[in-house]
Amino acid sequence: MSQQTPEIYSVELSGTKDIVKTDKGDGKKYRGLKNNCLERKKKNHKEEFQKELHLGLSSTRAAELLARDGPNSLTPPKQTPEIVKFLKQMVGGFSVLLWVGAFLCWMAFGIEYSSNKSASLNNVYLGSVLVLVVIFTGIFAYYQEAKSTNIMSSFKKMIPQQALVIRDSEKKSIPSEQLVVGDIVEVKGGDQIPADIRVLSSQGCRVDNSSLTGESEPQPRSSEFTHENPLETKNICFYSTTCLEGTITGMVINTGDRTIIGHIASLASGVGNEKTPIAIEIEHFVHIVAGVAVSIGILFFIIAVSMNYRVLDSIIFLIGIIVANVPEGLLATVTVTLSLTAKRMAKKNCLVKNLEAVETLGSTSIICSDKTGTLTQNRMTVAHLWFDNQIFVADTSENHSNQVFDQSSRTWASLSKIITLCNRAEFKPGQENVPIMKKAVIGDASETALLKFSEVILGDVMEIRKRNRKVAEIPFNSTNKFQLSIHETDDPHDKRFLMVMKGAPERILEKCSTIMINGEEHPLDESTAKAFHTAYMELGGLGERVLGFCHLYLPAHEFPETYKFDTDAMNFPTSNLCFVGLLSMIDPPRSTVPDAVTKCRSAGIKVIMVTGDHPITAKAIAKSVGIISANSETVEDIARRLSIAVEQVNKWDAKAAVVTGMELKDMSSEQVDEILANYQEIVFARTSPQQKLIIVEGCQRQDAVVAVTGDGVNDSPALKKADIGVAMGIAGSDAAKNAADMVLLDDNFASIVTGVEEGRLIFDNLKKTIAYTLTKNIAELCPFLIYIIVGLPLPIGTITILFIDLGTDIIPSIALAYEKAESDIMNRKPRHKKKDRLVNQPLAVYSYLHIGLMQALGAFLVYFTVYAQEGFLPRRLINLRVEWEKDYVNDLEDSYGQEWTRYQRAYLEWTGYTAFFVGILVQQIADLIIRKTRRNSIFQQGLFRNKVIWVGIASQIVIGLVLSYGLGSVTALSFTMLRAQYWFVAVPHAILIWVYDEVRKLFIRLYPGSWWDKNMYY
Amino acid sequence: MTKNEKKSLNQSLAEWKLFIYNPTTGEFLGRTAKSWGLILLFYLVFYGFLAALFSFTMWVMLQTLNDEVPKYRDQIPSPGLMVFPKPVTALEYTFSRSDPTSYAGYIEDLKKFLKPYTLEEQKNLTVCPDGALFEQKGPVYVACQFPISLLQACSGMNDPDFGYSQGNPCILVKMNRIIGLKPEGVPRIDCVLKVGYLQPLVAVQVSFAPNNTGKEVTVECKIDGSANLKSQDDRDKFLGRVTFKITARA
Repeated sequence: MSQQTPEIYSVELSGTKDIVKTDKGDGKKYRGLKNNCLERKKKNHKEEFQKELHLGLSSTRAAELLARDGPNSLTPPKQTPEIVKFLKQMVGGFSVLLWVGAFLCWMAFGIEYSSNKSASLNNVYLGSVLVLVVIFTGIFAYYQEAKSTNIMSSFKKMIPQQALVIRDSEKKSIPSEQLVVGDIVEVKGGDQIPADIRVLSSQGCRVDNSSLTGESEPQPRSSEFTHENPLETKNICFYSTTCLEGTITGMVINTGDRTIIGHIASLASGVGNEKTPIAIEIEHFVHIVAGVAVSIGILFFIIAVSMNYRVLDSIIFLIGIIVANVPEGLLATVTVTLSLTAKRMAKKNCLVKNLEAVETLGSTSIICSDKTGTLTQNRMTVAHLWFDNQIFVADTSENHSNQVFDQSSRTWASLSKIITLCNRAEFKPGQENVPIMKKAVIGDASETALLKFSEVILGDVMEIRKRNRKVAEIPFNSTNKFQLSIHETDDPHDKRFLMVMKGAPERILEKCSTIMINGEEHPLDESTAKAFHTAYMELGGLGERVLGFCHLYLPAHEFPETYKFDTDAMNFPTSNLCFVGLLSMIDPPRSTVPDAVTKCRSAGIKVIMVTGDHPITAKAIAKSVGIISANSETVEDIARRLSIAVEQVNKWDAKAAVVTGMELKDMSSEQVDEILANYQEIVFARTSPQQKLIIVEGCQRQDAVVAVTGDGVNDSPALKKADIGVAMGIAGSDAAKNAADMVLLDDNFASIVTGVEEGRLIFDNLKKTIAYTLTKNIAELCPFLIYIIVGLPLPIGTITILFIDLGTDIIPSIALAYEKAESDIMNRKPRHKKKDRLVNQPLAVYSYLHIGLMQALGAFLVYFTVYAQEGFLPRRLINLRVEWEKDYVNDLEDSYGQEWTRYQRAYLEWTGYTAFFVGILVQQIADLIIRKTRRNSIFQQGLFRNKVIWVGIASQIVIGLVLSYGLGSVTALSFTMLRAQYWFVAVPHAILIWVYDEVRKLFIRLYPGSWWDKNMYY
Repeated sequence: MTKNEKKSLNQSLAEWKLFIYNPTTGEFLGRTAKSWGLILLFYLVFYGFLAALFSFTMWVMLQTLNDEVPKYRDQIPSPGLMVFPKPVTALEYTFSRSDPTSYAGYIEDLKKFLKPYTLEEQKNLTVCPDGALFEQKGPVYVACQFPISLLQACSGMNDPDFGYSQGNPCILVKMNRIIGLKPEGVPRIDCVLKVGYLQPLVAVQVSFAPNNTGKEVTVECKIDGSANLKSQDDRDKFLGRVTFKITARA
């Protein structure tokens, strides 16, 4: 495994190409692999090149190759077999203790049976019940797990693809799984690339490699070999990427797992999945409880043996102690609680794949977030305009509803005309009822932004274009850097043609000799040019893409209505135009994100932006969403403010840092640590997905719980490595979703914050659930200890204990999951992985030694009351055990001289069990109520706010009533019909528990940080 | 790898040592002396309070009780039957007429059992009317005399060996005492066995023929003639009935 891990890096290809070239030092391990990759490809090329391309492979040869290489599909990541998962549930947690208990039971019976053939079968029953409990809870937990995994399997379904292939010199459509190396395939716009293919010929083909490389721009593909590195060259298309436009004919060079994507997918699964924080906490808790159970059990086993009890009896005591100590229902409850939260989160667009990840999000201390699509809306939007020597701000919110800039200027009228006319983008037909911002558009990102912007402000753009018929057009290209079109005007009296132009601002300005200010043309002089530059720099500094707009009315006498414009000959002027204005665009932040970032900050979570985008744009977005706060400066900012060189600035004066991928790759891991530890606000720009992994590892070295968002295939190692990987539901690739622990259905950063809130709440509530459940263990345990030492008739039976643990207590402990947060959960620091444990010492001590003990006393009071009122005063009960349990003593005297047969005593003993059970039950109601809060008073929290608690209490009472009065006649269950008044004996104790806990909370609130607070707050 | 483990073992040992006693902070088991003092004081007060409270509630509970009559008798609505001599393990008596040591224990037991029934012991008790229930309202309760002569040959007055030496062993059948039990009708105890028997009210004398050695007799006694005294309970083999076995050896 350790050999494999570095390979992950090797198949990375990055948006920033320089990484491959300049890897040094630890980069060596990557390079070797890259070369391997390359060599294999070359070999393949040679081998297959002999083929006649137009013939394709013969079917027989293809079949041979298919048999050799296997189908062209990714081997699904190795799943743990269901049976293994199931068995894990059977032996995990407390199950081992219960298995031991069951085994001891059967052993005890075996020993007894060997000496006495008529040995009672009670121990066999008890052993079987324990096994049933293990199996039942195991099946339940397994079912819960399986249910939550099933949600995800829907993602895994991929529609079977067809590929157009030439075989036996015929074009055939075959399932892409059957493609083999050497096949000639044809791919057209909109198709997925069916395998890694080398382009033989292409027509205007562009592919979307974003899922693989993070490059969001469409990449042109042709047969031209442009780079040594197969990942860089323009003549290879990769499996699972999409062909956006054009057509390609290509030869398959790699299939299935041997494709680049196959490498990444298989290597990502090699990244060890670390235990989730909650799994560690539960393990810790199981260890504590099991430790307590085993040590008390063994201690009392020794005491019992030295008190001359038979070893066999001592073993039975041991089992009783184990059963009393183990909260059998708790792990099932935790699973239910987690899945309830998972459901709640799913409603808020966080789909959790792994139940335990629910809590991980809550303990997250660093979020490494993507920019595009997660923090931003993932669409270009007009953000600023500059005309009349003034910068105007446009509304960039999701619906553009609120455009407040001054639209009265005549310059705006001209500018809006250029925006409208000099634009090739069009709405797709048939979307009349779709809101403008949601309409689908044919055209590139900038043109789409301009189209929507003008549609919102001016109304029907298509109609305006119709009225201003286009007579000629030069589309944008990278050499010209401008776009131009010539239109008839919509003014019937104006016979002039209007030429409109947009493009790179400096190129547009070159072509202008005048500038329009307040609708008047003014000569373009030094000062106006300076104003232009200032505005251009300012908008550019905001990370926005700036476009310049100009126009020219062609004089009617030179260009009459019948004039034939020729765009190749350029028989019209393209200089001395009139400059109208600038317009800048950005992919704006989602409107919910700044709030979410503020919440993260107050919640003590560091948000780090990791993006492939340009540092200026990244920084601008970071500033606008608050990842870099308004008053923080980077080293560069300080240098600019003080007008000194960047090197002269003390780098720790800066609070924020923008680190580019280029800088990052020259850093040692110590330097990365230094940056992560010392800067509060960090933006990583121009990073490749592979560097994301380095950043994640760096954060984890700081002992942080790291959440990482990602969508591309190449993000999958980072998603796996992170404590919680968050894949994007809309933009995310399947590989990313597979590697992630959670999927954001709306791709929105704000949803992560909701997830954090839920995760923190569940941690708090699990604490309450566990405290609630542990409390009664003492009340269940004390009877055994007293029974062994003082010799009272057994106060509560093992089966009765199981009825509490798996019966009356289950619904109440789940109900605590519905408890609302006590205070603003998002105003405190994330929990420290190693210090803030789920089950800490105060929790165990308070549950066991305070409330638990009070409960035990209350339950004993009920027990003694029943015995005393039936004739056995407490004094009489001491050391009565031996006589009491003798089968041939059928005239045992009570305190009044009445004589009891064995069966009458047994029945009284069961009544005692029932009484003790009712005593615990009544006090568990009080326990449930006090556990609603840990610090606040119950009355601050609201006694009736969580209705589910009351459902829980009702369930407790109903189950208790049914057991006592409904099943009281079933001997095997050892319940009897208890007199109604015994239900109220423990009520004063229950009230005492409530009062005591209120006092505890009051002192905690009054004296924070005091001795009381430290020892009593759990 | 092993080196690492060793190191971590040493480390954890050192950590433990530090936990047991930390000389820099003066902490013993994670707490300073002052902290230990405080926590012990707290638990002293807290548990003292709980103990007092528990004693108080128990005291209150005991106040609800009557010294003479238990509050409830619902768990023993009907008496069980028990036999004397007191069986040691199972309800089986084995004796040999010729070997007095084999029944000495039984005789001892019977004598002990009948001691309170001697005339001297009973002289302070009331003579109650025969054949009718003797009801009392309290607050002072008296007990009725039970003339031991009713046991006839098994009274031990005439035969100190209770018939064991003759091969006619006496077994006393006793109805469990239940305070306030009012039998309806005229209860009597019927015993059934294979060989002939004398029928005193609560004593069974089995007569074995002198030459009949190694004889086994199973006796079943039952309360009869009273509607509210049950003798047919599947689960309780001693409720209103008792079955025992006598084996006489030579």
